[in-house]
Amino acid sequence: MSLIHVKDLSKHFKILNRREGLGGAFRDLFSGDFRTVEAVAGISFDIDAGEIVGYIGPNGAGKSTTIKMMTGILKPSGGLIEINGLVPYENRIRQAQIMGVVFGQRTQLWWDLPVIESFKILKEIYKVDQKTFDEHMDMFNELVGLKELYSQQVRTLSLGQRMLCDITASFLHNPQIVFLDEPTIGLDISVKAKMRTIIKELNRTRNTTIILTTHDLGDVEALCNRIIIIDKGKILYDGDIKKVNALFGAYRTLKLQIDQFNETTLQTLNDKLTEKFGTDHGITISENEESWTDVTIDQARTPLSEVLNHLMTNFTVMDVRIVEISMENVVRKVYDGALT
Amino acid sequence: MRSIGEYLRLYFMIEAQYIKGRMQYRADFIISSIGMFFSSLATLGIFWVIFESVPDLAGWSLMEMVFIYAFYMIAISPMQILFDHAWQLRFHIQQGTFLKYYFRPLNMMFYYMSEIFDLKGLTQLAVGIVLLVYASLQLNLDWTLIRIALLFITLFSAALVQISIVVIASCASFWVLDSYPVLGLAWKLREFSPYPMTIFDGAFRFAFTFIIPIGFVSFYPSQLFLRPQDVSSLIYFSPVIGIGLFALTYWVWTKGVNSYTGTGS
Repeated sequence: MSLIHVKDLSKHFKILNRREGLGGAFRDLFSGDFRTVEAVAGISFDIDAGEIVGYIGPNGAGKSTTIKMMTGILKPSGGLIEINGLVPYENRIRQAQIMGVVFGQRTQLWWDLPVIESFKILKEIYKVDQKTFDEHMDMFNELVGLKELYSQQVRTLSLGQRMLCDITASFLHNPQIVFLDEPTIGLDISVKAKMRTIIKELNRTRNTTIILTTHDLGDVEALCNRIIIIDKGKILYDGDIKKVNALFGAYRTLKLQIDQFNETTLQTLNDKLTEKFGTDHGITISENEESWTDVTIDQARTPLSEVLNHLMTNFTVMDVRIVEISMENVVRKVYDGALT
Repeated sequence: MRSIGEYLRLYFMIEAQYIKGRMQYRADFIISSIGMFFSSLATLGIFWVIFESVPDLAGWSLMEMVFIYAFYMIAISPMQILFDHAWQLRFHIQQGTFLKYYFRPLNMMFYYMSEIFDLKGLTQLAVGIVLLVYASLQLNLDWTLIRIALLFITLFSAALVQISIVVIASCASFWVLDSYPVLGLAWKLREFSPYPMTIFDGAFRFAFTFIIPIGFVSFYPSQLFLRPQDVSSLIYFSPVIGIGLFALTYWVWTKGVNSYTGTGS
């Protein structure tokens, strides 16, 4: 049996149709004019122990609502969630014992307390025995050098340090499932890398199931074997990451600022690229804004470095940027049938 | 499930650390304690001004008023010290930081309230105790064992009433965007509690006795010790009122917690 079982899950919110202006606000007080918003509109999936699943989608797709239902905060409007055979909403305290949750930049440690004391209180709350506690603390120390932070008050930590503490703290009681909501948001690249190593390592050594929601496709690429893409409350894709990799792993967009840009530049660019890489070059060119040109390259067909080289030698390029593909683009591509 | 003993142990552990942490901000502690000390005495100043021009207030002498006030200060201290986090509930709810209280295998009210232990409330408690002893010496009150037991029972009930009023008012933020007016009302009302209910006319007295029972925070129980001969039999219900009101508060809190949907993230 799977660890997490979700079947036809849905959640509606009733929202008042608000009117404009002060007069409208007064009329709203007595209004029965509600509309129903379907935040989650019938989703089903099963997750097994030890999986790292990326749960992704654009803003307002229904990610948070799903996570809130899985963690027992929200009661579903319809359908079923079972974690270890129990319904989260009805068994909040028991479920909390087997879960760890990290919600973005909101720390769950005690703001005024030194880091080590937060961990000691968590030990007490989750009834972690001394031996396990010591083992875990040694391991966390190895992974992130936690010892140096022990005596610091949580409020004095940098965002990166605090997030590292929060992540490791969520694993202290050896939970079966850890929910990570935007764990790398706002972090610089080195901390991000560290964070990813820890998550991977903890998953590997204890077979902890990890549900990761993120906007950072780099996180997904680095960590997940399986992804679920959700948009407008429905699942667009659920499966192996390799297929999706082609969507955001292989595509990179070059933004170029070309000197003396005019109406014919796009055509000339295309001609030059076809000349070099043939008609099947997998490159799309479009004008962006104010003389910036987007060149989107499918790296599976044409290496980015060669395209860049070729363009640099044939045009006077004043400025270049390389853009990672965005979540919105991935979702758009899925809609366009890229995965079917 | 955790036993009460386990919760107590955990509570002491959290608060011991919390106090240690706060003590590092020594200036903050000293200044807020001094502030609390003087604001506690301010009401006494008002009494003094009143009694400069009148010999008694609806038949109550200055020293009796001091006793009622001292009882009130002690009765509101547990709210101040243990439930002070209630005041910040609306910020947590608005900003979505309330979510984290769902994630621990603990009773949520316990976990939420345990996060703050208000040290300056201890100053208030100390001033209250000193004033209570002083007033009862001045009034030559006869403290039998039964009366002392009654004092503890009525203080406990009064504390529950005060806690309930503030926590219920703060729970309004589960349903109302800006609950400040509700909290402000609860805060204002408590300023009426150290006065003899007999100075209010019918409608107010009825409200303060049966609807928002601030009469039970200080005046009715104080009567038991100051004028036992003309005490109303209502006072013997004070534990029922205190416990009943707290049970209602807990029910409202649970409703609120279950209806909260959080902010987007």
